[in-house]
Amino acid sequence: MKKTIAMVLAGGRVDELSVFTIHRPKSAMPFGGLYRIIDFPLSNLMNSGIERVGILSQYRSDSLINHIGSGASWDMVGSQRGISLLPPMKGTRSSDWYTGTADAVYQNLEFINRNDSDYVLILSGDHIYQMDYQKLIQFHEEQKAQISLAFVQMNEPSLDRFGQGVIDNTSKYGGRLLHYVEKPNETISDWVSMTIYLFNRRVLNQVLESEMKRGCDHFGRDLFPHILDRYHIVGYKFRGYWGYSRTIEEYWQANMELLTESSPLQIEQWNVRTNLFNENLHERAPSLVGSSALLLNSLVYNGCIIEGSVENSILFPGVRIGAGSTVRDSILMYDTVVHSGAVVDKTITDVEVEIGEGAHVGRTANGSQVADGSASSPDITIIGRNSRVPSHYHIGSGCVIYPNKVETDFPSQSMPAKRILQ
Amino acid sequence: MRRTVAFLLAGGMGSRLNILGWLRAKPAVPFGGNYRIIDFTLSNIMHSQINAVGILTQYRPHSLMDHIGDGSAWDLIGRTRTATILPPSTGIKDQDWYRGTADSVAQNMNFAEKYNAERILVLSGDHIYKMDYTPMVEFHKKKKALVTIAMMQVPWEDTHHFGIGIVDEKNRIIDWEEKPKKARNNLASMGIYVFDIDFLRSALEVRSGHDFGKHIIPAALDNQRVFAFRFQGYWADVGTLHSYWQTSMDILDSRSGLHLQQWKVHTNMQERGMIGDRPPFRVGKTALIRNSLISNGCVVEGTVINSILSPGVHIKKQTCVHDSILMQDCLAEHGACLYSVIADKRSRIGAHAQIGVGDSHIPNRQFPDHLFSGLTVIGKEAALPDNIVVGKNSIVEPQVKPDCATQEIYSEGSTIANHA
Repeated sequence: MKKTIAMVLAGGRVDELSVFTIHRPKSAMPFGGLYRIIDFPLSNLMNSGIERVGILSQYRSDSLINHIGSGASWDMVGSQRGISLLPPMKGTRSSDWYTGTADAVYQNLEFINRNDSDYVLILSGDHIYQMDYQKLIQFHEEQKAQISLAFVQMNEPSLDRFGQGVIDNTSKYGGRLLHYVEKPNETISDWVSMTIYLFNRRVLNQVLESEMKRGCDHFGRDLFPHILDRYHIVGYKFRGYWGYSRTIEEYWQANMELLTESSPLQIEQWNVRTNLFNENLHERAPSLVGSSALLLNSLVYNGCIIEGSVENSILFPGVRIGAGSTVRDSILMYDTVVHSGAVVDKTITDVEVEIGEGAHVGRTANGSQVADGSASSPDITIIGRNSRVPSHYHIGSGCVIYPNKVETDFPSQSMPAKRILQ
Repeated sequence: MRRTVAFLLAGGMGSRLNILGWLRAKPAVPFGGNYRIIDFTLSNIMHSQINAVGILTQYRPHSLMDHIGDGSAWDLIGRTRTATILPPSTGIKDQDWYRGTADSVAQNMNFAEKYNAERILVLSGDHIYKMDYTPMVEFHKKKKALVTIAMMQVPWEDTHHFGIGIVDEKNRIIDWEEKPKKARNNLASMGIYVFDIDFLRSALEVRSGHDFGKHIIPAALDNQRVFAFRFQGYWADVGTLHSYWQTSMDILDSRSGLHLQQWKVHTNMQERGMIGDRPPFRVGKTALIRNSLISNGCVVEGTVINSILSPGVHIKKQTCVHDSILMQDCLAEHGACLYSVIADKRSRIGAHAQIGVGDSHIPNRQFPDHLFSGLTVIGKEAALPDNIVVGKNSIVEPQVKPDCATQEIYSEGSTIANHA
């Protein structure tokens, strides 16, 4: 088998995830009651037998460094295996910060070349999916390609947030990439880029050395459209679930998918690994469901204590739900505490949030939509980490509470829908 | 605590745990959903900042060796930190098998010397409790004791199970009764000892027998430097099926003192079966869960009341589980009912089966001393057929196949044997 090294782009700051990406890069965002988003590409790599990995990160890398640890969680320890975190560095040749995806890889060519691999697989650390990268490699070899890009079909009214590819139908897995446009105003194809690129290593060196000179930061925006005619580039059609979570709504939706019976998001079968030494997972007892609890259609990891009612929700380790409280359609991250009598509806709380006794957070009245509940108007309430909602306080739907807010930071009466507490 | 080295006695057979102990040493028996019994003592060692522990094994050590792994689950890893399994070995003069608790320590004194011990802490691997050993070691140093024994008051009716100490007003132990028929005191040994290493070395050389409680402690009283360290708190010996079940139920009773959610017990989550990597537990739309402990990887679609589920247990729709303990990857099919059942790993209960029914209080006919309080025990990987009825105090042997059950109804006190 030919050797492949993977470079995972994990450092990008994605502002759409609001207060959740103030303290962490999106790839370190908790997901599904236990995982971090980067666990999905890392587990895919492990399950695909690609075990030499560089992680490119520059934004808030400390939470990633903690999470990756020694790499042992994904069996990536040894002389031939390993995960290396590659933050920006000051060097004789390199400039300081990464200016884009292509630049980040360019600045780490030395690392890539030291590992003497045949292929370089470039991935984003921000997506939730299961994929066997060996199938992409196999397709790449069959097509005798120099560069392969993976695409997924998307049926959404607006695709202007994605790179789009027009792919020749040589086989059912795709074929030559005829056109590529990054985030076009007018849709040219419903096959959108998964930001998964496979390069022959020599081609990667050649392309970057020549193209970087002309000033190029990003693979999708600057590089591919420019070199499409000069190299043999193919598009690989991936058919499977791909969760991209670029907005709070999409993040919430992807989590809620986990609670749907026929969902294509079958984490149980995906063999996803996470770092069990992080977040004290080691010392969390199984969850205790109390004698006054009512728990329906939910996911709960260890370390929770539930005395209230929880429906259609995802509880991360250490969440506590007090007696007489109600949690519905919500995602509560590590160690969130909901005190007794509180109501939390269609809300996402970051780690260590506290909801005071009898408080009401999120959607009001029997789960009905707010008046202007169109798809574009977000009605999910989000609370940044370590903030404390005062007892008996009301926070409407679609509100945003920044991290570390204490009782005195809140406006005196209540917060109507869509207010922001910064 | 750097000069205190611990020996953890983990060789017990646990024969009174019946089929739970057939395939594994007692300290390796699963407990509290995610844990094995030994995790409680190992976590105490870790929280007490003890750096080196030798784990003395003898009976079926494999599941224990897998579980201890490299010790990293309890931070017992490093240049001078270790959790080392010490099985019996043949040497120039040593006998091969351990002849008793004191003998097993005597054969491994070089382990303690290697880690520069001044004191030896001897612990048992089959108790459920939370204890910081630091105050006990400080007490031992302050008293300039040769031996310090952790002791607690037990109900008078239980004294015949324990070593009982008679103490003076300074907690000096002046007399000792090992498992007395009629005790003079109710201060019982918890099987936790701190020894001065020189004293222990010489006591082991002249010893008259091989057991700490029976031989070493009574002989040590002559030198008047044996003290009782009084422990107050939750402590349970889980040596019998009934005490195992009762202690498990204590987890669900907030007044019991067993505060599992606060004890920060560590376990090896990376062991075979990868319990930690299992996803969060999934509660279906038809579930009802009350007063229960549920581990990750479980799927609950039926009713679970006053029960403990280990990782990967699947309770299907219209199934009810009461007062039961189901270990890793048990499956209760559609419409089954379980009352006061302890089911070992990967057992499968057929659809509409009824397990643990009846109220005539007949003990198990084969093991009346083990099963008399209304429990039913199902062995590892046993599979019970659909529609079967099994009365209380019954045993289903490990790896029973559905066709091993020749009757549709088994009365109370039955045993379904594995004839394969």
